[in-house]
Amino acid sequence: MNARLLVRALRDPGTVAQFGAGQWNALIAMARAERLIGTLALRIGDRPVPDAARPILADARLDAEREARQALWEADRAEAALKPLGVRVVLLKGTAYAAAGLKAGEGRFIGDLDILVPRDCMEAVEKHLMLAGWEWVKSDSYDDAYYRQWMHELPPMIHQERDRMIDVHHTILPLTARQRPDAGAMIADAISITDGLHILSPEDRVCHAVAHLLADGDLAGGLRNLWDVHCLLAEADPAALEARAARHGLSPHVRQARRMADALYGAGRERLTLWDRIVLARLLARNGWGKETRKGLRFAFYLRSHWLRMPPTMLARHLFTKWRKGHRPA
Amino acid sequence: MSHILDDMVLLYHRSSGQTHMVISPVPEILETLEDGQPASARDVLQRLLRRYDLGPADAALPEVAAQLTNLAALGLIRTA
Amino acid sequence: MKHRITLRIGPATFRMGSAWPGPIRSLERLYADYPAPADGIADFTVRLEPVSLLRRWLRPSIFITGDHGLADAAPMSLAHGLLAAEMGMNLQMALGWRRHLLLHASSVEKDGRVLVMTGESGSGKSTLAAQLGERGWRLMGDEFALLDLETGTVLPFPRLVSLKNRAIDVIVAEVPAARMGPLLAGTAKGDIRHLAPRADAVARMDEGAPPALLLFPRFGHAPAIRPVGQGETFMRLTQASTNYVALGEPGFAALTRFVTQVPALAMDFPSGEEAIAMVERLWEQQR
Repeated sequence: MNARLLVRALRDPGTVAQFGAGQWNALIAMARAERLIGTLALRIGDRPVPDAARPILADARLDAEREARQALWEADRAEAALKPLGVRVVLLKGTAYAAAGLKAGEGRFIGDLDILVPRDCMEAVEKHLMLAGWEWVKSDSYDDAYYRQWMHELPPMIHQERDRMIDVHHTILPLTARQRPDAGAMIADAISITDGLHILSPEDRVCHAVAHLLADGDLAGGLRNLWDVHCLLAEADPAALEARAARHGLSPHVRQARRMADALYGAGRERLTLWDRIVLARLLARNGWGKETRKGLRFAFYLRSHWLRMPPTMLARHLFTKWRKGHRPA
Repeated sequence: MSHILDDMVLLYHRSSGQTHMVISPVPEILETLEDGQPASARDVLQRLLRRYDLGPADAALPEVAAQLTNLAALGLIRTA
Repeated sequence: MKHRITLRIGPATFRMGSAWPGPIRSLERLYADYPAPADGIADFTVRLEPVSLLRRWLRPSIFITGDHGLADAAPMSLAHGLLAAEMGMNLQMALGWRRHLLLHASSVEKDGRVLVMTGESGSGKSTLAAQLGERGWRLMGDEFALLDLETGTVLPFPRLVSLKNRAIDVIVAEVPAARMGPLLAGTAKGDIRHLAPRADAVARMDEGAPPALLLFPRFGHAPAIRPVGQGETFMRLTQASTNYVALGEPGFAALTRFVTQVPALAMDFPSGEEAIAMVERLWEQQR
């Protein structure tokens, strides 16, 4: 069994009407593992489901509501902390979708607060966040130096009292990555949603989600990211998106994400390449107990994710340092 | 949403999901702001003086201002 | 997964999968009296997996995970498989349950009213609940008390009671061997043996009752009883709840109602026998 069961239920929630207990158990375990249980619960909505499944889905809906409320509060706090700076603060990912009421935000799991700010303001942003009660999470000097030098964000910070994390980004992908999306252009074209907070334009939202799905990660949690892309595509203008993707150097990635979103969540009309099929196999590698399968394939993608981000000698050094400290792909 | 216990007042702040445990004069100060209209520290003090005996107003003002700053930092009130 | 069992405990149903038969066999024996789940759909999935393929056979180590898991959870020896299974269920409840306010507390019922006992590990709340459960009280649970969000009723969650170190001998002396699990020696918390609740407590596992008294027991001190203020009680219970924050406003409403309606006492006691006598006296005074 693989995660097609979950994908089908998201695409066409009416299909769950025929599910037996075994399929429900598998569906719930997979949806939780992929952090799509809230999305699934909202997709299923008021359709008839077995008695035992109803409270599980209701709980997931309530959790999603609470998460959205808390995410918006964190955004509000960050906005208040950064107001004196007068810089554009752009919300990214889940918080942005929730703040703007986008379809991608419906039921979505939202973890940390991700914001994008101009690169030359990073120091001031860091200072103001610390004044408002955020502090560093990591004290490890290798990780800290690595973040600052090569990643696209400050090392993660956590709020002392609320225990919530914030990731402050200044570029879309790490400085070591091959593609260089134009973060400055994204900030300049961002849309104001409240006094002081912005979200990316519809086309940039797709580019950003795609960058995370295909050019950055090892595809862990990829089904959720691809669901984001699927929902965001519906709100983007196709011609404007082509142009925008070209500007960010992400054209092949955006096209591939479009084909894959269509294959899993859409009508399935687009022709897939061999590489598309390999990536899809990676995305669907999960069994009915919610456990990831196809270890070899996952490890290959883990290596590839680092390869994409770093020049080879740097990659070797980084993996070696991580390895000694006991970090291994699960 | 608030709840009075025998030795303190609990405030549930819906937007943040945080529970605050407060004692006098915080509940009384929040009560003066219940109408949602902007007010200065001096306004708050005036409203408090109408209901409570706080001693000399000059001495109480910095105390009220400091409490307001704390409440704003928690996000329970906003600086206009 | 190869070896599996589905268990219902109170309102929650668990689907457990294991790479080894041992833990499932222990569960089958000790949970034999529990009613079967209604329609086979579980609230939670628990997985007991080998840490790596090799460690399935060689010095087997169990990694506990499932719908909810902790990435940095330390692996456990296969000899402690039953404990791993129980911890796996606890983990799901602690991190995922939303239908009641969860208090890390033991609870026993008599005359249709519930005594709730909460405290750190080592406070004696588990042992005391197990002992009361053999002396005319109904054992509702030793780990979690479930507080109904609308009515304030306490619902049972009668999992196996986990007895530690000295408590093991105390209970073994008064309970038939068939209700005792294997001795798990040298776990991270010392020696552990599980106790299955009495059949009548299991049969009534869907039956809640209103709370009448909250105790903060503390083992190893001279006998003393002091009232605990509502503010302190509230604070200690938020710390003893794993889902208070996640429940939001309904959790706040349920907990404030509990704190204002249920008297709270701190009870220091030097021995189990003394504690039982103290509890019985307090219970009489509360009537």
